[in-house]
Amino acid sequence: MDQLALLLGGFEVAFTPQNLLFLVIGAILGTAVGVLPGLGSAMAVALLLPVTFSLDPTGAFIMFASIYFGGLFGDSTSGILLNTPGNSSAIATTFEGHRMAKDGRAAKALGTAAIGAFFGGTISCVLVVFFSPFIVRLATVFGPAEYFALAVFAFVAISAVVADSIVRGLVSLGLGFALAMVGIDGMTGTERFTGGSPVLFDGISIIVITVGLLALGEVLHVGSYIRRSGGPGAMVTPTGSPLPSAREWRMILPAFLRGTAFGVPFGAIPVGGAEVPTFLAYGTEKRLARRRGDPDFGTRGSIQGVAGPEAAGNATAGSAMGALLGLGIPTSATAAMMIAAFQQYGMQPGPLLFERSGDLVWPLLASLFLGLVILLVINLPFAAVWAKLLVIPRHYLYAGISVVAMLGLYAIASRIVDLWLALAIGIVGFVMRRFSLPVAPVLIAAILGPLAETQLRRALAVSEGDPSVLLSSPITIVLYALLAVIVTVSVLQHARHTAKRRTADRVGVDTLVK
Amino acid sequence: MSINESPPLSTGALRVQRMPRWYTGRSELIVVAGVLALATVLLYGTVTMEVREEDVFPGPQFFPALVVVFLYAAAIALAIEVWRSPQRAHVGDDPVEMSDEMLRDLGRIDETSEIRVVSPEDYAATTTDSGSPARSGSDRKTVLITIGAFAGFIVILPVVGWLISAAALFWVIAWAFGSTRPLMDIAIAAIMSSSVQLAFGAGLGLSLPGGFLAGVL
Repeated sequence: MDQLALLLGGFEVAFTPQNLLFLVIGAILGTAVGVLPGLGSAMAVALLLPVTFSLDPTGAFIMFASIYFGGLFGDSTSGILLNTPGNSSAIATTFEGHRMAKDGRAAKALGTAAIGAFFGGTISCVLVVFFSPFIVRLATVFGPAEYFALAVFAFVAISAVVADSIVRGLVSLGLGFALAMVGIDGMTGTERFTGGSPVLFDGISIIVITVGLLALGEVLHVGSYIRRSGGPGAMVTPTGSPLPSAREWRMILPAFLRGTAFGVPFGAIPVGGAEVPTFLAYGTEKRLARRRGDPDFGTRGSIQGVAGPEAAGNATAGSAMGALLGLGIPTSATAAMMIAAFQQYGMQPGPLLFERSGDLVWPLLASLFLGLVILLVINLPFAAVWAKLLVIPRHYLYAGISVVAMLGLYAIASRIVDLWLALAIGIVGFVMRRFSLPVAPVLIAAILGPLAETQLRRALAVSEGDPSVLLSSPITIVLYALLAVIVTVSVLQHARHTAKRRTADRVGVDTLVK
Repeated sequence: MSINESPPLSTGALRVQRMPRWYTGRSELIVVAGVLALATVLLYGTVTMEVREEDVFPGPQFFPALVVVFLYAAAIALAIEVWRSPQRAHVGDDPVEMSDEMLRDLGRIDETSEIRVVSPEDYAATTTDSGSPARSGSDRKTVLITIGAFAGFIVILPVVGWLISAAALFWVIAWAFGSTRPLMDIAIAAIMSSSVQLAFGAGLGLSLPGGFLAGVL
């Protein structure tokens, strides 16, 4: 139980006033971007990254992690009250949550969501702490071929699940590689794709790419519809106690556990974040409700239908942090942003991080627990207050985001050319959104691309060009086999739906697409 | 019991159902053209790369060559896909970036028992029910104004400094996004840009360009 002592040491660091302040700032910011539809924690981290350079890295990472968790706490609030989920991770919660709100049980739904988020997050963080020694032991067996396999796994898995078709994900992936290759090659010093221009020698900063894609692209995308859209719908005002009764506790506890069981494993593999496990949890609760003959599910709104997905959503955040710190793979867009943050501070997350930067990792893990408590405290009684954020006029919101984005871009190196590059990437991001190309694979490719290239070249250099070295160890074989399964499932999935759509077209009843 | 007054559920929309856009059909081939162009630029860059002789395989051209092949393959696959089903609807890539179909299977969504979740983009659809006809397609004017605002900001930033240019950017975007109180916006914009200057310039020590005000302040 070595790790408990280390964790306690982490708590000592996390409890310093400065780190607590970052924790609270992160929790508030994260909940706010979670509540507001259209803003996500990935964008928040991207915007904050350049202006936190002057901070101590521990404080910055504590803040980013609590933004990540906060986003998953806040997102259900607007879903339940307004039927507009703050983020995609809350869609599954919204189905039953908004029904409960319409039935006059809004406060109860919000309370269940907050407790479920706390429950799922805490269990998954405990598991990460428990498993950390095994992750550290992995460090000894990871060579270039294993790292490359891990990166390929992340690339293909994210492309396979995020888009309507795997091809779209792969197109985005290629774009990310292209952006990451610009600049001087680290291994040989060769200029690549710079057009001879010295401003590109250092490559395109990952902050330029992320702020351009996530912030400017989103502002342009919102601009393309905001003037034509109406205001948000009617908001339900929550009344009553948010705390579940003893009978309800008995109903939701098993749902919490089921949700967490879905969330923890899916948080650790790169399938785009919390969507897959939240929908799995929702589907499970739905089937169980049918089996017990629960009349509430699908009509008045069932409390288990809120509890399961919400616990699943936050459980992914804990194991995503574990995968991020221990394996160095980003399993969601926000996790990808945090990898970018580590790289900015000159650290490479991965099996070696626990050894080399234990003074950062353990306070960070400790602060996850503190952050969950703070988030529960600011969300459970005050969900209605957070909902007030929804009355901020959206034009001020996006004007503010634009100004902060420009500030961050300028803060990287005080270069005007970075602003132009980001604007160009923002326009690309806008076009991608219009044409349903996913943005997440671009981020993953741009962040992990250079790492994948280095490891691939190292592996091949050692084997003198023999590609079989890439498949030479059990770990690589397992990773590639797992990947083949994911791709097969995804391809079969799409093929089945395409076939269904074709049949529907043939009989002239267009029920699937319109 | 009817749960929701939102549009009929038969559309199959799990979440965001996009309106038919100007690119409906095959104009998506523009993306294919873009990817092909990018691959060609990379190919040219890879071939003309000045590599030192002592860099043996796998040298700096190795990974770019893989990416070029990858991009050409992806572009061709996308072209085939667009060609085979030109009218495919783009269902819900926003706000989520996930395969709609996969989520529908995972959640056992059967399109009758789930309420239809409304995304911010969908507010448009709700207003059209009350009379005003829906204008489909993207609001190109606002997008162009926004791009122009960013470009203008970048041009004037070194000249007039952060305070004025940031306030102007805020004001123009608020106006373009539909604010109806331009005078009030000036005040908010000024507060925004000066508080950023104070918090990040004075507080965190970022050096923001002063412009011609630099000497005065």
